[in-house]
Amino acid sequence: MKKLTLLPLAIILSFAPPAYAGHGEYGHAPLAEQTVRSGDVHVSVNGLVCDFCARALEKVFGKEEAVKAIDVNLDTKIITVNFNEGQTLNDEKLTQLITDAGYNVEGIHRGE
Amino acid sequence: MRYVFYALLGMGLIIPSIACARPVSYPSGWTAMLMNDGDKNTAHIHYSPTAKMSVGYKFEYWRDKDFTLNAVQMNNLLKRWNERDSQANLYLKSGLGVVHTFDDKKDGETTVAGFTGVAADWENRHFFTSYENRYTEVGKIDNFYQQSARVGWAPYEGDYGDLHTWLMLQVEHMPEADNKFTVTPLIRLFKDVHLLEAGMNNHGEILFNYVFRY
Repeated sequence: MKKLTLLPLAIILSFAPPAYAGHGEYGHAPLAEQTVRSGDVHVSVNGLVCDFCARALEKVFGKEEAVKAIDVNLDTKIITVNFNEGQTLNDEKLTQLITDAGYNVEGIHRGE
Repeated sequence: MRYVFYALLGMGLIIPSIACARPVSYPSGWTAMLMNDGDKNTAHIHYSPTAKMSVGYKFEYWRDKDFTLNAVQMNNLLKRWNERDSQANLYLKSGLGVVHTFDDKKDGETTVAGFTGVAADWENRHFFTSYENRYTEVGKIDNFYQQSARVGWAPYEGDYGDLHTWLMLQVEHMPEADNKFTVTPLIRLFKDVHLLEAGMNNHGEILFNYVFRY
């Protein structure tokens, strides 16, 4: 029985790729948008399946000075980030925050 | 074989970045868990410096075995699959600590103990499935293997902040136990930072779990 237990562990440890790597067809958003400007940002996120996911994103974005509020919609898998006046986060930073929280960005859309 | 076990246990404890449940919370998140079933009472509190690992303290009281375990536990997220409507995870969970037995025959012996195992889950907003195993070695006193699996169904899709309800069925297998297989239907209620599970297994024993995240 010990062998049965340890063998899969050894295999997993030997071949474990980095977490979050290889997410199929979904890649990160283009990082071209670097201009600082105001307005809501809508981010399509993969992996949002429960309240815990939404809370994780709220916690992570809540630490950012530029962020006034975020809304997580579990139905559409879109988070809307509302910024303080004259402040924003660029796409690279948004992607980093979401990735660090354990999720993947499918796309970023900036409102007018 | 014992050395292989300790080698794997050591890897689990000291290389959290190997792939850097949920055993792991969001960055800077704390989780407290109280779990009670037919075999044991467990308390576990852990801190997640990143979304890829957590470290914490675990206490277990095994009633039939008549011993307590105090351990440092480390959970590593080996891999996560994020898809548009689902998420799957693979974790390595390991712990190292001491066991104190209250068995008169063993004269209140205290010894080093360790455990390691993998956990995997997949879920979307309606269905849930998970598998977990663990091998525990308690010095010369005891060693045992256990595994469990769950399937779950959510009768409705709640919005963020609503009360979420899951109906689940858990099957446990512990080869050395008198009751090798245990089946537990249970209900999971999840709202805000609170998660509560309650059920009764096929041997008439109660399951009651409470998880608090902050």
